[in-house]
Amino acid sequence: MLKKPRWDIFCTIIDNFGDAGFCWRLARQLVNEHGLEVRLWVDDLSILSQIEPAINVDEDRQSLRAVEVCCWRKSFVSTQPADVVIETFACTLPDNYILAMADLPQQPVWINLEYLSAENWTLDCHCLPSFHPHLSLTKYFFFPGFVEGTGGLLLEKSLLPARVSFNNISQDIFFQELGLQSRRDGELYISLFCYDDAPIEELLSACVISDVPIRVLVPQHSVNNAIGMFFGVGSPAAGQVLQSAKLKVCIIPFLEQDKYDQLLWACDINFVRGEDSFVRAQWAERVFIWNIYPQAEQSHRLKLEAFLELYTERMPPEMSVAVCSLWNAWNGNGQMINAWPIFAAQMTELTEYSNKWIRQLLPIGDLTSNLVRFSRKDQI
Amino acid sequence: MKTAMELRVGNVAMVDSAPMVVQKCEFHKSGRNASVVRMKLKNLLSNTVTEAVYRADEKFDMAALEQKNCTYSYYADPLYVFMDSEYNQIEVEADCMSEVMNYLIDGMEDICKLTSYNNKVISVELPTIVVREIEYTEPAVRGDTSGKIMKLARLKGTSYQIQVAAFVEIGDMIEVDTRTNEFKKRA
Repeated sequence: MLKKPRWDIFCTIIDNFGDAGFCWRLARQLVNEHGLEVRLWVDDLSILSQIEPAINVDEDRQSLRAVEVCCWRKSFVSTQPADVVIETFACTLPDNYILAMADLPQQPVWINLEYLSAENWTLDCHCLPSFHPHLSLTKYFFFPGFVEGTGGLLLEKSLLPARVSFNNISQDIFFQELGLQSRRDGELYISLFCYDDAPIEELLSACVISDVPIRVLVPQHSVNNAIGMFFGVGSPAAGQVLQSAKLKVCIIPFLEQDKYDQLLWACDINFVRGEDSFVRAQWAERVFIWNIYPQAEQSHRLKLEAFLELYTERMPPEMSVAVCSLWNAWNGNGQMINAWPIFAAQMTELTEYSNKWIRQLLPIGDLTSNLVRFSRKDQI
Repeated sequence: MKTAMELRVGNVAMVDSAPMVVQKCEFHKSGRNASVVRMKLKNLLSNTVTEAVYRADEKFDMAALEQKNCTYSYYADPLYVFMDSEYNQIEVEADCMSEVMNYLIDGMEDICKLTSYNNKVISVELPTIVVREIEYTEPAVRGDTSGKIMKLARLKGTSYQIQVAAFVEIGDMIEVDTRTNEFKKRA
């Protein structure tokens, strides 16, 4: 019997939950759908444990959902490198691990899995080699993306069927688990996950004067202070409901990944951020608004522009204007109060467009399968 | 030592013991303030050209290169022999001659720049402008002195053909830009 190929995934938590969230999904999919043996090296298990509560932060090595989760300590104990080595988001591998790779008679496939961007230059760099300056090792750059010629997006085989089977009953059960009442007809449900600098107060102000009742569900995270300030209270805790006119804001617990997907499916509009929740919102087939990770010298604006250009390419002009205005305002370039009503008026069409967008993404193939295909030596 | 971000076209960086000249580089911001540099690199030992991408903070040792001005002397099969200002003879392999061959003629006085790595010549660079005689071209077009109408012409001594202005005639001496192989003017 052939030995299962072994993969090592290295993950440095720079900030927030995106790094750990992405790597945990990737590791599980490699195991579940490709039958691979995966070790996930994470330098901060406490972050991963918020996404996957079954993680024991005190264990240096543990097996969870068939993934070997290892704590990546600064003093990295030398270990036999895997057949395929993934460094995520250009994290720096331990020196002794790199030297061990160079010492192997057969070089492992070493891949730097890069950040997600819709900018055209990623197509030119996708799958290019990076020859080690001092050792006989070659690393390859692999870029996720939204078009043919990139690595695609993470998508488990079970995700879209699970979303389709998530019906009103499952939705009621989900809300009950969160301590919420069942959905009420005519009420607009919004999930809110964003960075601290997003114009939350402007969004809530726009919601307060909305024609329809709005319920905003907020998984507990750092923006709760801003929400509390808007309502003139302290930082609200999970379970707390804050109300002003037709707006209700419900603070819910921070959710593990599978539950977060359900939250996205259960809402009409999802405010998402960074990479991981941004991608999940697209597969949720719901209207979504992206809060992009802010970068120095405003370089995130180019990335936002590049995605908007691609995403709105097949939209009718008025829908495209509504989306661009709101997304730009949400990212600090415009007024939410002006953009919101125009955007909200396009809700039905935007929901339909979400399906068209998914159909545009599917032919690229999912990132994990594309990565596995690339990792086979004969493909390089 | 330089980072990938500091490398410029023409720099020669060491990549796994091979001197690689940077022929092209593009800088891109990837995510969360990280950046990548896409490069076109030519291996000066094997002459192979490859595209690569590096993290902007990847560190490279720079190759210690020696450059010398020389003139071409003669061909001693299979090597080309050049001479420096102190009359030392320097042998160059054909692989390193590349486009120089298009303009290489006996008795040429052009000052060439020889680049060596580990005492081995790895590239020969001609002056930007060289003057060569036209060995053959179709007859000149009367009246056209604009230089906009072009025709093929063969250079004396190399048989290399370039586009020249229509007014150029056999026996004319012309200036050629060796970087682009473009006709500049009659000398």
